[in-house]
Amino acid sequence: MALPSSSPDGRRLRSERTRQTIMEAYIELLRERPEIPTAAQIAARAGFSTRSIFERFVDLQGLSLATVDYAFAMGEAQAVARNVDGDRATRLQSHVETRAHTCERWLPVWRVVVANQGKLEDLRARIRFIRQAIVKRMELMYRPELEVLSAEERRDLLIALESLIDFESWGRMREGHGLSFEEACSVWVRMIDRMLPPTPPARP
Amino acid sequence: MSQRPTHDLTSTVSTTTASRPARIDGRRLRSERTKQLIIEAYLALLRENPVTPMPTAARIAERAGYSVRSIFERFPDLNKLRAAAADYQLAQAAALAPPRNIDGARHTRIKSQVETRAGTCERGVALWRVLVFSIDQDEDLKPRVRTARERTIERMEIMYRPELSTLSERDRKHMLIALEAITDMESWARMRELYGLSFEEACGVWVRAIDRMLPPTPSA
Repeated sequence: MALPSSSPDGRRLRSERTRQTIMEAYIELLRERPEIPTAAQIAARAGFSTRSIFERFVDLQGLSLATVDYAFAMGEAQAVARNVDGDRATRLQSHVETRAHTCERWLPVWRVVVANQGKLEDLRARIRFIRQAIVKRMELMYRPELEVLSAEERRDLLIALESLIDFESWGRMREGHGLSFEEACSVWVRMIDRMLPPTPPARP
Repeated sequence: MSQRPTHDLTSTVSTTTASRPARIDGRRLRSERTKQLIIEAYLALLRENPVTPMPTAARIAERAGYSVRSIFERFPDLNKLRAAAADYQLAQAAALAPPRNIDGARHTRIKSQVETRAGTCERGVALWRVLVFSIDQDEDLKPRVRTARERTIERMEIMYRPELSTLSERDRKHMLIALEAITDMESWARMRELYGLSFEEACGVWVRAIDRMLPPTPSA
């Protein structure tokens, strides 16, 4: 009888685990140095051969795109929307803290993705998708306030808010202006509060 | 590719002693002009093809109408050319975008600052992206990017002095950080490229956002 670990399911699981380890090694390297690593560097970090990378990914571009998707999925899992029915201050605090944690964790990876978007249309599409997700989260968190605006006003406000809470905006507060995590969150909370229209009274 | 005959500096050298100071100045002026044309050629290529952050020296030389050699006579390498392009654009931004309407009403000042900033972004975003994306590889770029950001903040301090004067030092600093984030070059580029807004529509977004962010204007 074959051992369970050598069954097709066991092999697939191991192969998936290897894929994941390769992508995590890629992300680790991006965090250390803001440039796309070579396949050999990724393989060395993951503890596999270069060949095993190309058994699982068509080429380095394919690996890069899969890693962006994996990073986005991880980012989404770490940033569950909370307090969506809370009062204004609670929603602001919750949204900003969640967003700030995402920026803190993913800014180095984001920088490399943005810097390389010119080389790959698929990468540009993913950046657009991530930005849409950021906007959708604000639509969810600030629904009561956004509902009082016309479609055009809502669009304009969301564009401005998205600029405010951009990854690089966070990076500048932390690295350029030397603000602590809490101070930087406080800047965002106060500014979003200023920009949002008054909260309408709750419906009976 | 042909070289412009007028750029043959040796042909302009006169043998008379009396005219020597003028000759030296003329050479320097022409050399400066050549530098400027090379920088402008680099910037033009960048705007046309932002995907290539550093065109080859041959492409830049061809565009400028000089030889590759004349590029490297003036810039030790292409990184120095990129840094010189940053200086050139900073100087151009200062020259083309002086502060206007600084004593105007709130709406006039916001509109004036936004339109000036928008013009700077429209002209400068291609190079800006190159600078920001290359900053980790080139130490020369860091102070230039910092200067550009500081100038944006200084301009807003001038334009929104009445409103900012009502805030504590800490709140003023935080307000300026947020205003700078909203009016970032990439913020402008996204409005134009991703959201497809016209110049006027994009200005409108910034005007309304800044108006919401600033505290009430104190009475005169």
